[in-house]
Amino acid sequence: MTTKAFLSSVIFAALCSAMVLPTSAQDPATDAPTLTIWWAQWDPAVGLQTLSEDFTKESGIVVKVQQIPWPSYQEQVFLNFGNKTTDFDIVIGDSQWLGRGADKGLYLELTDWIGEAVDLSTIHPLAQRYLMEYPEGSGRYYGAPCETDAIGFVYRKDWFEDPAEKKAFQVKYSRKLAPPDTWQEFRDIAEHFHRPDEKRYGTALLTGRGYDSITMGFQPFLWAWGGAWADPETFEVQGHVNGLGAVAGLEAFIDLLQFTPPGGESSDYFQNLDAFTNGSTAMVLDYFPFYPGIVQNMGDQAGFFVVPRNGDTRAISLGGQGFSVSTKTSAQQQELAKQFIAWFQRTEVQEKWITFPGCFTANTELLQSQAFREAYPFNSTFAESLDHLRDFWNVPVYNELLSASLRNLGEALDKVKTPQEALDQLAMEHELILRGAGLLK
Amino acid sequence: MPTQGGEITLGRGGENSGGGADADRWLKVGFVAPALLVLISVNIFPLIYSIWLSFTNADLVGGGIRSVGTLNYSFLFFDPRYAQALRTTVLFVALAVGIELVLGYGLALCLRPTFRGKPILLTALLVPMMMPPAVMGVYWTLILNGSFGVLNQALGLLGLPELQWLTDPDLKLVSIILIDVWMWTPFTILISLAGLNAIPASIYEAAAVDRATTWMVFRRITLPMSAPLVGLAALLRATDALKQFDLVMAITGPNDGATQTLSALLYQVMFRDGKVGLASAYSYMVLVVVIALASVFLRYLASLQHRASATEAT
Repeated sequence: MTTKAFLSSVIFAALCSAMVLPTSAQDPATDAPTLTIWWAQWDPAVGLQTLSEDFTKESGIVVKVQQIPWPSYQEQVFLNFGNKTTDFDIVIGDSQWLGRGADKGLYLELTDWIGEAVDLSTIHPLAQRYLMEYPEGSGRYYGAPCETDAIGFVYRKDWFEDPAEKKAFQVKYSRKLAPPDTWQEFRDIAEHFHRPDEKRYGTALLTGRGYDSITMGFQPFLWAWGGAWADPETFEVQGHVNGLGAVAGLEAFIDLLQFTPPGGESSDYFQNLDAFTNGSTAMVLDYFPFYPGIVQNMGDQAGFFVVPRNGDTRAISLGGQGFSVSTKTSAQQQELAKQFIAWFQRTEVQEKWITFPGCFTANTELLQSQAFREAYPFNSTFAESLDHLRDFWNVPVYNELLSASLRNLGEALDKVKTPQEALDQLAMEHELILRGAGLLK
Repeated sequence: MPTQGGEITLGRGGENSGGGADADRWLKVGFVAPALLVLISVNIFPLIYSIWLSFTNADLVGGGIRSVGTLNYSFLFFDPRYAQALRTTVLFVALAVGIELVLGYGLALCLRPTFRGKPILLTALLVPMMMPPAVMGVYWTLILNGSFGVLNQALGLLGLPELQWLTDPDLKLVSIILIDVWMWTPFTILISLAGLNAIPASIYEAAAVDRATTWMVFRRITLPMSAPLVGLAALLRATDALKQFDLVMAITGPNDGATQTLSALLYQVMFRDGKVGLASAYSYMVLVVVIALASVFLRYLASLQHRASATEAT
């Protein structure tokens, strides 16, 4: 066969196979209906793929969980939504995406269906509010919890239990060395363990300049000191995000950065993980799904505590993602998607879900159960954290709001601006964005 | 195909050829058409389409598009990100290209004489230029890492302070400039060497006869005569550096105020904020800046060429 003839045959064969290959959402191997889920590339996505095999056995529907690397996940999802039909039936998106998904008609409204198909009383009310509902308090649902998550601290239990450290701490601070309950106690412990000469550091907070790390790191301070992103009813920003409470919160946040490892003023989720696993840092803030890996590597050296409070207020940044059904997939696929979501929310399924590494639940029955709390060393801390969750904006312009927060908070942390100047600028930018979006009148 | 006097002529075959001429014309059109179609569909159409988009509120995920007039362009003046990104880009271009030119030209002067192992050395010097910038960005994050990076370990061994290259707001842009210089200095070496080698030996011989000093030879002959090609290198590097994106993405991500170049801002506005109309307007403003800069450079190049020709003539 000549080269030309060979190439012609290859092209002909390729064209034929393209015509023969199934175009409907069916698994070519079994002809079974197939559901495609998009999620970021991490352990819980692997867990979901494994768990979905039970669903396939039960329903005959094949589930494919396609994992997309974190750095490009958001862009890939919304680029795909730009097409007439999406390559996925279900997307597991950030809580912030809800407004954009609902407002732009990308997420299927589940309000009428979900109340009948899912026992909502088993879902933690804050997970309902932040991972399902848009606008908040409207009773309109566009999602269902998949990975309910929060930030929490991991600490060096062995350092805290070291008799010499305990004694030194007692002498200096006149109290016992124990996981902190308040931010003031936290500061003392960070100061105690901060010994740069020994390459040992007090804490690592979330300050990264990528997507939302610095915002998630600042929020517990913003809320605990009495600040807010805005008035939730009127979207009025001035006096909230740049009010006295917010400024005091930012000052407290910045003050703690003196006890971080070098580069601690720009440290994201993964760098914080490094700071703990390299054995240099006493207390590190991160999301719970990263903690199974730490326990696996460091065993009893690692302990966990809830984000501290200031006065009576303890506020914790929400993490995690929820299931949403694409409006740009066929009605038949949407039905399969609903079937899967309803199945996933069942308590017995959730019971298995939380056995996979990094997988957490919003199921109230499980959260209260002793079995859950004792299954992993961080589970009781996680369950306790859920009661204090709050979230960033989930309006359609969340990304611009996030971007302005990142830039202005970053300038405050880098000491380019004072906390008051940075928050005044942030308030002005948020006001402009919210007015532009028609949310602030 | 008719030939006359050894010359090959395409197209019109004379008055008598009649239908043959038409066939030739269609043949030519047939040959050019596919390339033209590709050009129109991938270059011209998007260009015109994006002009239209820049006057709309187009969103990445679709929805109703409506005209917003010149709002996107006027928003540029209110968006603090644009001014900041413009400053960062100009600073990056000036420093990175400036260092690359000085360093590249200096190294080209050293590499000009023939010596043993010169081809191997030149090949080795060109390696960074041939690596994909995104891969280099990831690679350099490991070298520059504040905790375990090779650079800080080396600095520590020498008793020098270990710096936070990737997180210190004053050093992030410096790190990106450092990587860009490492990657693209070989390019300026290559172009400068071509310029230096193109200077006729007879001019140096004449200068030697006139007992010109080394400095005079450099200032009056080498520099002015190689300047047009060095200018070309500057133009190519500056237009390329103005679009800096890969390294920024790999080192800090697109949304870090300290390193956000215009291209990174465009990415942020387009793909993260989803504002296609605004991103189109921003990209046209970048295009205006690039065209303005290129025309200034081209004028400068033309004047250099003119001066070099005059020097050669005298």
